[in-house]
Amino acid sequence: MSQTESHDDGHHGLMVKNKKLLMWLFLGSDCMFFGTLISTHLIYRKLYPEEFDPTQLFSLELTSFSTFILLMSSFLMALSVSAMHKGEMKSFRRNVVGVIFFGLIFLGCQVYEFAHFIHEGLTLDLGTFGSTFYLMTGTHGVHVAVGVFWLISMLFYSQSGKMEAHKNAIDVEIAGLYWHFVDIVWIVIFTVVYLIEFIV
Amino acid sequence: MSDTEHMSQKEILKAENDRYYAFVNLALILAAVTGIELVLVYLPFPTTLIFTVLISLSLFKFVGVVAWFMHLIYDKLILTMAFGTGMIIAFGTYTALLFLLGGDMVAPQEIPGR
Repeated sequence: MSQTESHDDGHHGLMVKNKKLLMWLFLGSDCMFFGTLISTHLIYRKLYPEEFDPTQLFSLELTSFSTFILLMSSFLMALSVSAMHKGEMKSFRRNVVGVIFFGLIFLGCQVYEFAHFIHEGLTLDLGTFGSTFYLMTGTHGVHVAVGVFWLISMLFYSQSGKMEAHKNAIDVEIAGLYWHFVDIVWIVIFTVVYLIEFIV
Repeated sequence: MSDTEHMSQKEILKAENDRYYAFVNLALILAAVTGIELVLVYLPFPTTLIFTVLISLSLFKFVGVVAWFMHLIYDKLILTMAFGTGMIIAFGTYTALLFLLGGDMVAPQEIPGR
């Protein structure tokens, strides 16, 4: 394949679609972003362990439910991508609606959790714990919200009849990568921010 | 690029159908692991043991989603490298911060914002 041809069909010289390679590079950079946020929270927890005791406030049942919801949304997203590769538009739409629904449930749980925390006195300006916790989980929540908007727009686009299974499969795959990334970030946050607090 | 792009429609269908069962199995395992994690923190085992198991289970879930749901095991190595580089830098940042600020000697006495 010549250099010109390789650019024409959207492939990088390494036989990887440009869009997909860019998305993975973005996710790699987003890893650094979240890595910094999570690290900051953990370091401050180590520096000021007596500042705040979140075990009185955290509801592990609710957070576990949120984690379960996000994991199942990832499963449906994987099925959406698979349906798109197979050219099954109806199945794709059905699964995407499920992902959006689960994403909204997760966001609802986060809003409820934040409202409860603020009511109990854990505000953004409550020392290092409040600021690092809300910044980290809030940024993750914004990522989820962006993902939900992305999938809703994709759903509307597919309803318009302009979406073609063969042509747009890569776009769905990229949206899927983003969604799964949001899921793996939460897997880390759930363990190191929520669960670990109850055993140390 | 996913390996489905050079296949015939029949081969794509077979590959995707095979993956479907992998996805279902993984989803069930992930749900079960999340339940186990929730129960683990209430069990009267040594903290170090629970800590190690929780981190291991989290790592297992992380790898499961990245490898299968994100298709990384079906894709080119360059994508793993692109993502892995970000992961290594992220973990390196945490390690560096831990060494720079984690020691008791450098912890300031007063709490910022108070």
